[in-house]
Amino acid sequence: MATPISGGSVREVELSSVAGVAWPAPATTSESPLAEALRRLRRSTTALVGVAIVALLMVVAVFADALAPQSPIANDQTKTFLAPSWEHPLGTDQMGRDMLSRVIHGTRISILVGVSSVVLALFVGVPFGMIAGYYGGRVDTTVMRLMDLILAFPIYLLAIILMVMFTPTAGLIGTMKVTGAIAIVRIPIYARLVRGSVLSIKEKEYVEACRALGLRAPRILLRHVLPNCLAPIIVTTTLGIATAIIVEATLSFLGLGTQPPTPSWGWDLKANVAFIQANAWLALFPGLAIFITVLGFNLFGDGLRDALDPRLK
Amino acid sequence: MRVYILRRLLQIVPTVLMITFVVFVMMQSVPGDPVVALLGDAYTEEDAIKVREAYGLDQPVLVQYFIWLGKLVQGDWGASILTGRPVLQDVLVRLPVTLELIVLSMAVALVIAIPAAIVGALRQNTWADYTATSVAMIGVSIPEFFIGVLLLLVFSFGFSGLLPSSGWVYLPGTCPTMVCGVSLWGNLQHILMPALALGVGRAAILTRLLRASMLEVIRTEYVTTARAKGLSERPVVLKHALKNALIPTVTVMGLQVGFLIGGAIVVETLFAMPGLGTFGIDAIIARDYQQVQGFALITALAFVVINLLVDLTYTFLDPRIRYA
Repeated sequence: MATPISGGSVREVELSSVAGVAWPAPATTSESPLAEALRRLRRSTTALVGVAIVALLMVVAVFADALAPQSPIANDQTKTFLAPSWEHPLGTDQMGRDMLSRVIHGTRISILVGVSSVVLALFVGVPFGMIAGYYGGRVDTTVMRLMDLILAFPIYLLAIILMVMFTPTAGLIGTMKVTGAIAIVRIPIYARLVRGSVLSIKEKEYVEACRALGLRAPRILLRHVLPNCLAPIIVTTTLGIATAIIVEATLSFLGLGTQPPTPSWGWDLKANVAFIQANAWLALFPGLAIFITVLGFNLFGDGLRDALDPRLK
Repeated sequence: MRVYILRRLLQIVPTVLMITFVVFVMMQSVPGDPVVALLGDAYTEEDAIKVREAYGLDQPVLVQYFIWLGKLVQGDWGASILTGRPVLQDVLVRLPVTLELIVLSMAVALVIAIPAAIVGALRQNTWADYTATSVAMIGVSIPEFFIGVLLLLVFSFGFSGLLPSSGWVYLPGTCPTMVCGVSLWGNLQHILMPALALGVGRAAILTRLLRASMLEVIRTEYVTTARAKGLSERPVVLKHALKNALIPTVTVMGLQVGFLIGGAIVVETLFAMPGLGTFGIDAIIARDYQQVQGFALITALAFVVINLLVDLTYTFLDPRIRYA
């Protein structure tokens, strides 16, 4: 028989068994924000379609050598402008190269440039933004004026001039040059985004508590501030990959991306435009490849945004 | 308001100076020598020295920039190293083509985006909304040049040459030279596909943004009040909701200018249009420093002026916004 609660004589462990009192149910394990976001992501059909497209493209990019039926750079002058057939499902171009193999290998270049340029921009832009936002004052002014200088340029003008400076070449070096040019134009986007988040987060009580406990700034920034700005960074990164892929394709289309014979969708589209009247598939397949890739990342990014911040839906 | 506009106009000067200076320095570090390209097979060291002296290319970079700037304030934009023509003349000849392209592409974007966004927001989660958002998602994922290629396949090569695949016909009264094609109908035929190619992507971005803004605005209390006082749906949507939803959209339209200029370069290249985009890309690839400076200057001016116009548009859309 439980003792009445008046008088404060009941021990804490006995409280839940006191009859006639509507005690709150014991707290169940609450869902972490990450688990909640993943649950929301799994519910979104469009996001799942995006994830599926991105996953498929990653597989194609990694296993391009095994998946491509022929070498993407092997010329055969006896097989120029062949229409799609069993032997060449996407036909051949003006140099007799198998278009399917070029489209498959083009995936590698597009994904590589798209992902690595955004990662590179992240690694530079995020620390700049964190330092500017956290320290404020002159540091903030100096860093952000530098970022504003880059932002003041129309994105394509800067990317084009950077590519002319770097001198476009073929192969891995050429791909790295395009990656660098796109990364430079995207650095301020991350710096601005992170600075904005840090400005509000650094005023929170838990950051103040960290400071009071004597934690040093780098530790506070990495362990307590950065994790709280991750949601917008993740969303901007995913959507940024889509933009980077379009910029890469555009630079290649203008002849300033990765140079031939390295397969690139933008370049293939440009090179084949002159022949599309009689051979429409030559431009259609590289163009469709760009579209599907960008669509995949956009759907995935949109889904992530809705999952991580449902208020934005 | 006047003070604000004046202050903003003065702010244009350092921004434009900064952009042109950075472009100048970057172009000087580009490998290659335009003098070698100019002289070609007839290259001799003596001639090269003379040409470099004539264009001031033998001076340090900073001196070259200030020489260019000094001439600029006198209205002299310099002369192309490769063609010898005054840069300002070339820019003025090509500017109307690009302006027409950009204005029409924005018109295309607005004509598609405003109704699509309104329908999407007012009939949220219906087939009309799903159609608008799906088409917008497809639109943001297609690069301009691929839309251009698809249009070429359908309208130039598909319907037995309904629209011309390249070239240009000027609007009456805008022919910059003694001889050029002039016709309103011809101009329309030439601009239609490029404007669509450039406008569809913008339309998709605007649709997504405007729909999201409209969804927020139509749930606000003043829209409910407008409906409660008996206003019909049309003025509620067009006068109260749309006008306020346009504010963030206009901001993004301003931010899109950089992409629009890039898109113009690509579309003009694809359709072989004699606009500023092709002028700029040809100059950059040929390392024609004077032409590149002219292109950077006009681009920077367009960029800052459009952003100023965007800021001024806010006061029209929301009278509470006042610039002191």
